Amino acid sequence: MKPTLRPGPEVATKRRELGGAYLWHILAIATFALFAWFVVMRQRQPFDLSTIEPYRDAIAAGFGRTLWVSLVSLVASTTLGFVFYLLSTSRVGYFRAFTAVFTEIIYGTPLLVMIMIMAFVIGPAFGSTNRSLMGFIGLIVYITPYMTNIFRSAIASISSEQYMAMDLFGFTPYQRYRYIIVPQVVRILMPPLMNNFSLIIKGSALLNVLSYRELFYEVSLMTNNTFRFVEGFLLMWGLYLLITIPLSQLTKWIDWRWGL
Amino acid sequence: MKIELKALSHTYDVEVLRDLSITLSDYKAVAIIGMSGSGKSTLLRILSGLERPTVGTVHVNGHDVTNPEYRKQVGFVFQHHALFPHLSLLRNITLILEKTRGYSPDQARARAMELLDLLHLADQVHKLPKHVSGGQAQRGSIARALSLDPEVVFLDEPTSALDPILTHDVLSAITELRDIGKGFVLVSHVMNFVRSFADYVIYMHQGKMAEHGVPTILDDPRSSELQDFMSKVPDCTFR
Repeated sequence: MKPTLRPGPEVATKRRELGGAYLWHILAIATFALFAWFVVMRQRQPFDLSTIEPYRDAIAAGFGRTLWVSLVSLVASTTLGFVFYLLSTSRVGYFRAFTAVFTEIIYGTPLLVMIMIMAFVIGPAFGSTNRSLMGFIGLIVYITPYMTNIFRSAIASISSEQYMAMDLFGFTPYQRYRYIIVPQVVRILMPPLMNNFSLIIKGSALLNVLSYRELFYEVSLMTNNTFRFVEGFLLMWGLYLLITIPLSQLTKWIDWRWGL
Repeated sequence: MKIELKALSHTYDVEVLRDLSITLSDYKAVAIIGMSGSGKSTLLRILSGLERPTVGTVHVNGHDVTNPEYRKQVGFVFQHHALFPHLSLLRNITLILEKTRGYSPDQARARAMELLDLLHLADQVHKLPKHVSGGQAQRGSIARALSLDPEVVFLDEPTSALDPILTHDVLSAITELRDIGKGFVLVSHVMNFVRSFADYVIYMHQGKMAEHGVPTILDDPRSSELQDFMSKVPDCTFR
């Protein structure tokens, strides 16, 4: 770490750089907008969003289901990820090995394969024919080791000297968690948690292969009926970006505001 | 300050301290010097109660260092300041005073401000550790150690993570504290500082006290180990 003796001028430089960065960002966004416009203009049919108007409610419902599935997966995989973190630090060797092997298996598996295995292999073995539900569980299971990982790195980032300091000052175990460990872990955890949420939202698109009526499914259904691929897929793309980009900006802001 | 070691040995995987015995009375500032791995930090940790010795007894000012109550009477300054990074310098002190020493928020604040002022940090109290220089953070952690009104303050290489200018900054601050009525035990590599601050020096070599005495032993070492050490350690800029 480079210590700052006089923060004044450096802060000013930062601000100037930031001003410049904004300008470059606007130019970059304009480049992509121009590219999109070029692509749309090159199509045979004229671009006309009103052609998909009759499907508005269906698409909105699909969008809602994408959000719902993602939120539930976030909560479930965070919880499960924490349980797996605890198991991975257990004194029982079997639990540590179990989580290690589980992580290796998941890291080596494509999400689509995981969803298929859940819906067509594991589900039926347990008597479930609800493929959407099983695919949904597959998504949760798939994200879990990523969640375990962020818990591990967040908790490891509290230095051993801090633990010694807590010892020395005579904090009770409750006080350690309440005032020192949890407040730090939450701050460190937020950015990667948001990144994983983004991963979940994008991953949820794969549930369409199981005919779960999320955003991708609804848009595909519409394009199959109307052949309005350009409008449909661009709209869908825009809707995904509408959640993921603000999310990643929020992540950066949280890190800037609360990061350690 | 009174330090008594009786047949102290300490083992991790290997023996790091071997059968140390010494009685020191009436010294204000004891410096422990030596190469990495000589056992000096381990000795400091045992003296401060952070670690239990494997064999032998250790008393500081008549307290048995293995008594859990003893820890509450020591101040410890770590190599890297070890301030809690999510709390301001002020809150780093008041949290401990309120939660572990039963101060009211007002009392804690007054006490913390007094010490931060003593360490010349009055204008930095609301900043997070990452927003002040390494030297200021280390001074903050010294203020935190002093806030508990310890009998003895232990400093474990308090400047080894800092560049020369910040080292000077921190060591000057420590020098100013010499006469506040606390005992100091410190590990340092800055020999000029050890000479001017300490009134007793212990040179550790391979888990033994190879040589110890008043700081003049640094200029006129008798043992070949200390001669060798002094010829290798660079003279830092502290005056």
